[in-house]
Amino acid sequence: MKLQTAGLVLLFIASPLSVQADPWEFSKPIAVTATHGEKIFHHLESSGRHNIAVSADTIAVAWEDNRDATPRIYLARKARNSQSFSNEVQISGQGEAYEPSLIALSNNRFALAWEEDARIHLRLVTPTELGPIISLGEGEATQPGLASDDQQLLLVYSQRDGRYARIWMQDIKINGLALQTKQACAVDAEPAKDEQLFPTIAKLKDRVIVAWEDRRPGHTIIMAAQNDQLNFCHFHPPQRISEGPSSSRMPYGKGHGVARVALAPYGNGQVLAAWADKRNFRDGYDIYSANYQPGNNQLFGPNLSVQDSFGGVAQQWHATVAGDHSGKLVVGWDDKRNGDANIMLSWREDNEWSDDISVPGADGTGEQNHPTISLDAEGNLHLAWIARSTTNGPSRVQYLFGRLID
Amino acid sequence: MRAVLLIISTLFSLAAMAEPPNGYPFQAFDKAMQQARSENKPLFVYFGRYGCGYCEKTNKEAFSDKQVREIYSKNYVLAYVDSESGKRLRLPSGERVTEREVGTRYNAFVTPVFTFMTADGKPLLRLVGVQRIEDLQQADNKVQRLLNKAARL
Repeated sequence: MKLQTAGLVLLFIASPLSVQADPWEFSKPIAVTATHGEKIFHHLESSGRHNIAVSADTIAVAWEDNRDATPRIYLARKARNSQSFSNEVQISGQGEAYEPSLIALSNNRFALAWEEDARIHLRLVTPTELGPIISLGEGEATQPGLASDDQQLLLVYSQRDGRYARIWMQDIKINGLALQTKQACAVDAEPAKDEQLFPTIAKLKDRVIVAWEDRRPGHTIIMAAQNDQLNFCHFHPPQRISEGPSSSRMPYGKGHGVARVALAPYGNGQVLAAWADKRNFRDGYDIYSANYQPGNNQLFGPNLSVQDSFGGVAQQWHATVAGDHSGKLVVGWDDKRNGDANIMLSWREDNEWSDDISVPGADGTGEQNHPTISLDAEGNLHLAWIARSTTNGPSRVQYLFGRLID
Repeated sequence: MRAVLLIISTLFSLAAMAEPPNGYPFQAFDKAMQQARSENKPLFVYFGRYGCGYCEKTNKEAFSDKQVREIYSKNYVLAYVDSESGKRLRLPSGERVTEREVGTRYNAFVTPVFTFMTADGKPLLRLVGVQRIEDLQQADNKVQRLLNKAARL
């Protein structure tokens, strides 16, 4: 194992510069918020890693920090051609708030959902106004994720239901600045048999796909379900989408670990799921992906390793996914293959995952991790991440623009 | 009513937990760090995960030993981290992190990983994978020698 790792490192050092053409030309990073310093810690960690979004001319980043000693949710925005973020606003109320999920609506508007005092809260944001906050349900709920078709918000979250947490979907009507709750339903009609956690949702024209972590087999697996086209709040029985390891690599015990699935719609009705997966258990977590298969009995197809073989020398963390209508698809994560934690990307080209690149400006000394990515309508890449000079030191939120090369 | 809520809350916390060994005073990482600082004791941090087979094996075959239980309960403040859990902790720095993030920072890329740490979280020794009784005894000896040497300096 050690020889194999050393061989890969030597091969990496000895290899000529990559001939692969990166699809994006990256600008220099810029700070998302000027509020940082000792004892201030920022987090980009929504379920599904939706902390950045682009609407028309506006780029928005949502995060949580403890600048006034209480964790709260903040949003900063910038115009595309501006060199700095401004217009920073506090989104959450007076309680302890966590894990904001951000989605773009039309006309420079955004919707956010977050957890505050163990309840899910939501509001809309326009260029000039903050919509009223609505709070959902009466049970202990966490880990919200959002999707939208501009008239309607779809919210998923994990809510305590008896002994275990269970995934719910809530339909929300957008009415100007106001949000109005409509139907809500459990994504799995059967009562939870163990924890259901960290849901994320993708909206297609005529259906939604929800994926989450599920502990029903005695270890964590990724499961997904799609709803019925004719009955919005009726989901087909969920299916496991994270496969087991090959028989030669079977772990001892109930099963291997997986964590934190992300979904992204792309192309014409396609969806990619990506997550951290420890099926090669001696190597730690790798990033695996699977494609939604409309019309197939098996909801998602075979699992594919996203990172290249050099990724085997390091562990991969914090998978984030973005796609666009033209079919572009990119997965981001962080790993320490170059010594420090750097932001890495791989994109789909010629029907396979590209060699990995570390993003210039989101690499180098110190820690660069917790990426969140989005592709705009032109295929440009927008990336935000957490930067630190030391592991437990104060943090910053950084942003970087990748212009699509024609 | 309070009693009912307490029972429900206990059931929830049990449901969310993975499997530290029975009979040991394992506690959450942040609470253990606080205790280690106030008592100036080293930490022994068990990074496991839900359904971890090698954790179960180590629990059955090594942590079940009476002498191991006595040594580890006496010499260390014990912390258990479910490396895939979203449970929130607050570090002495004031930062709020999840158990998974603690696992990431201490590179718990496989489970189990056992890390001996100073009270302020500096790693002293790390054991990766399934452990036998003698492995845990030898590791304790080594850590105690390290600590004694450091105390003499």
